[in-house]
Amino acid sequence: MMLNIGTVRSDYYGFNSIARIAEESHKLLLDSVELNFSDCRFFEANMTAPLYAVIARLRNDLNDVSIHNLSSSIMTILKKNHFLNVFNMEVLMDTNQTTLPFKIFKYHAGEQFYDYLYSYMNGRGIPSMSQALTKRFRQSLFEIFQNAAIHSQSESGIFVCGQFFPQKHRLGFTIVDAGIGIRENVRRYIKQEKINSCAAIRWAMSEGNTTKTGNQPGGLGLKLIKDFIRKNKGKLQIVSRFGYYAFSDNEDTVIKMDHDFPGTCVNIEINTQDTSSYCLKSELRNDEIF
Amino acid sequence: MDNGITIKVPDLIGSSLCISAEDGQKIFDKIEPLLKNGKQITISFKNITMLISLFLNVSIGQLYGTFSEEDIRAQVKVEGLSSDDLELLKSVVDNAKKYYTNPKGYDDAWLDEEEDENEQ
Repeated sequence: MMLNIGTVRSDYYGFNSIARIAEESHKLLLDSVELNFSDCRFFEANMTAPLYAVIARLRNDLNDVSIHNLSSSIMTILKKNHFLNVFNMEVLMDTNQTTLPFKIFKYHAGEQFYDYLYSYMNGRGIPSMSQALTKRFRQSLFEIFQNAAIHSQSESGIFVCGQFFPQKHRLGFTIVDAGIGIRENVRRYIKQEKINSCAAIRWAMSEGNTTKTGNQPGGLGLKLIKDFIRKNKGKLQIVSRFGYYAFSDNEDTVIKMDHDFPGTCVNIEINTQDTSSYCLKSELRNDEIF
Repeated sequence: MDNGITIKVPDLIGSSLCISAEDGQKIFDKIEPLLKNGKQITISFKNITMLISLFLNVSIGQLYGTFSEEDIRAQVKVEGLSSDDLELLKSVVDNAKKYYTNPKGYDDAWLDEEEDENEQ
């Protein structure tokens, strides 16, 4: 089967387009799948992570997936970010060092994820950001990574990649799993079988809501990330099944997609020139905490 | 602090990364019996390089399910946290207090959510 991939950017249309590919191919088993890029004028490097969620599922169903008709410019981008390495193509050196390469992590690989961030964010083309910003950014990525590990219930792992855009002073990072999605988790947890993807994302974004079981508090991670993104004037996108959520310029957008994305994708984009301190001026005392 | 016990987090979890629920549970399992015995505890985060809410929810937030705010305030101290991590801990503690006051409260408000789409 041939699947046509058009231009893909990290916006509603780009995610919808990847979800369409997933939907067109979701019944394939033991088949041959050709991803045809002849209509693709641009493919944003970050979007390789959600694309891989589709590929992971196809491979899991023992389909043979191959890539065709990549333009030389897109091929260069996807070789530099190591994505084409999963199709056994060579890796091109990223001379500008603006890429955090595509990588697949196992669920318990938090420590390796730390090493990955450490090695690709330090002293390379990615600009030196304030210490507070770097720390908050990494904390946010860990919150997302661990959310995926806990909630996805998929064996495929966690797919990540990032890209720095020097002219815009923006750094984007995407974390994806090919799991059951936020909707399914929320449906099971609140025993509301009909809650839709958009409502489920809104539920998950509300402070204190978590589908984690075991009588433990939770549900802070996404709220903390949103607070950070608000202050940083960055952008947050969450795509899960039919739901597309975006937060930027102090505005939430929730839109139902036309197609079903097989998993959950969180994309955060930060303003790297931000010099906010990210903490109150006076330090909290012990008795003010508890 | 008389008879105080210091829980050195990196020593107990064998890592400088406080990022998993499992490691948070290890800390909780050490603290809980000590607090039940009326001990004074200092939780030391010295030499920690990464801390996220998931870990704090399980290690410290979970204490509010067993102990009163007064007991925790009287018996628990933390050290070695930067000011921004102290704020993170404060958010976790506030969230835990709300959670154990009414654990199902958050959920019930959503039961009337209108459903309209034709998702599979």
